[in-house]
Amino acid sequence: MRRAQLLIAILFLILGLAAPLVVRSDYLFQVLFRVFLFAALGLAWNLVGGYAGQLSLGHAAYFGAGAYGLAVFSKAGIHPWLALLLGVLLAVLFAALIGGVSFRLRGPYFTLATIAFAEVLRVAAKNLAAVTGGDVGLQVPGLFVKSSGRSLYLAAVLLTAVALCITAWVSRSKFGYYLMAIREDEDTALSVGVNATRCKLRALLISAALTALGGGLYGSLFLFIVPDQVLSIDISSEMAIVAMLGGAGTFLGPLIGSVILESAAELLKNIFHEAHLLIYGLLIVLVVLFLPEGIAGTLAHRLRRKSAIAAPPFKAPGPVSS
Amino acid sequence: MERFFSALQAILNGVLTGSLYALIGMGMALIFGVMRIVNFAHGAFMMVGMYVTYLLFQGAGLNPYFGFIGSAMFLFLLGYLFYRGLLKPIRGRSDFMQILLTLGFGLILTDGIQLLFGADYHQINLPLLGKNLRLGSQISLNAPWLISFGIALMLGALLYFFVMHTMLGRAARAIAQNRYAAPLMGINVDRVQALSFGIGVAAAGVAGGLLLPVFYLYPTVGDQFTLKAFVMVVLGGMGSIQGAAMAGLVLGVVENLTSLYWGNEWALAVDFVIFLSVLSLRPSGIFGSQRV
Repeated sequence: MRRAQLLIAILFLILGLAAPLVVRSDYLFQVLFRVFLFAALGLAWNLVGGYAGQLSLGHAAYFGAGAYGLAVFSKAGIHPWLALLLGVLLAVLFAALIGGVSFRLRGPYFTLATIAFAEVLRVAAKNLAAVTGGDVGLQVPGLFVKSSGRSLYLAAVLLTAVALCITAWVSRSKFGYYLMAIREDEDTALSVGVNATRCKLRALLISAALTALGGGLYGSLFLFIVPDQVLSIDISSEMAIVAMLGGAGTFLGPLIGSVILESAAELLKNIFHEAHLLIYGLLIVLVVLFLPEGIAGTLAHRLRRKSAIAAPPFKAPGPVSS
Repeated sequence: MERFFSALQAILNGVLTGSLYALIGMGMALIFGVMRIVNFAHGAFMMVGMYVTYLLFQGAGLNPYFGFIGSAMFLFLLGYLFYRGLLKPIRGRSDFMQILLTLGFGLILTDGIQLLFGADYHQINLPLLGKNLRLGSQISLNAPWLISFGIALMLGALLYFFVMHTMLGRAARAIAQNRYAAPLMGINVDRVQALSFGIGVAAAGVAGGLLLPVFYLYPTVGDQFTLKAFVMVVLGGMGSIQGAAMAGLVLGVVENLTSLYWGNEWALAVDFVIFLSVLSLRPSGIFGSQRV
């Protein structure tokens, strides 16, 4: 089972790396870039939202920090790659601050706090025109000089590979088990000596760094960013939905989610034009109603049931919410 | 003296704006505070209320100050059906499922309205709009805001009475206290929750109707109000209807003062900074005594 998942992931990455040999159209490259970018972002979100069960809707803060870090620091004369690194550092700094405050909260309060932080950053970026260019936007340097679109695409594939490696490590390391214990029951995890705050914060820092790298690639592809785009709640919710659609807390989930959601979004845009958000909303509603564990989660459930058909699966009683 | 009057003017304007915020916040207090449903479609519901009132005005010539009643009825029905059809099936699942579901439904509403009526900005013209009530030489209060203030005050009191003193409101609070004991006491949980959800959404619809004369109308107008509504509920203390109302007034005043001294564009950031400070320093809210 584990090995099969790993094989699928590797096959997926190889296909991604081989795509430039076949694909020629720029448009298709952009779609593929989005698929891999959001696979990486979904994987990043999954560390915090899936494995640790901390449902953040404020990851746009780190995405924006990466994009704006790249733009602002390179405008100050720093080499783009170094600027990107500084952007990642900025995102990690934000994550430490945001995590420090919001990890004390639980459930919907945590989610609301993460949204609020991202929104404060968005409004600040809109208004601090001297640094960020405000609503007018800011130019982003290209990270690659030669054949930029193709190189950025390959960078996105690489980022997905890194995110997959980290996820593979998390899903079978002690650290990962701590996170899952926190997700299932934070109080019990605390009582057996898991340092919940430190684990959650560490997961968030890793997640933020990956997200910021994604933000930098995104900015570098479009060469221009505005606050309402890279810091909007739409980015945060798209990351979450990619992971939830595929299956939060699963290894392959975000990958599957991104392939389906991003290609569906692109198709919907071409077929339905203005109605694509409506269909997108409908898709979310349907997933919540009929695939609450996501595609990978539901599949795993089915397989497990098939293999253990004699013994009825033990179902742990869900946490009683007051 | 000049400075004093401009500040006083901002505070008075803030109270007037805040009364409509309060209505939105009270609806959310019922839905999120009492019923614990994380409703990210609240602003979209309010926006639908604005469009209903707008259509009544354009189609039947109905004045928005009566049209909001139609908006409230429509929204009540929409909320009731939304709860019955979509929210109830996922009631036992995690909060995040509710967040995703209501986010998705909000998208459907917003984009649906945009498909039907386009993304253009609309505005209605009432003769009332230019009228002001002057207090002395320095202070003037805009007539439409004053009227909505009066209506919001009355309906806010009504909503408070409903939650605190009617059988239905008591039942809703009983369910909030203990979802397992309430049905044993003969409460029909589904019915009570569907009705309360409808009423909470109708409050947003009323606010939408009252906002119509003084606001531009466009499909995404409600988005900013969703987050503000959450801020009000947390500020006022979870489950406290009157707390959310007070928080609405405070938010209105703070926003107007922010606009006066720092500029309008910072108002939203100040809202969220207050929100985060309250969440981290005093999670029971400024006006609340406890978390229900």
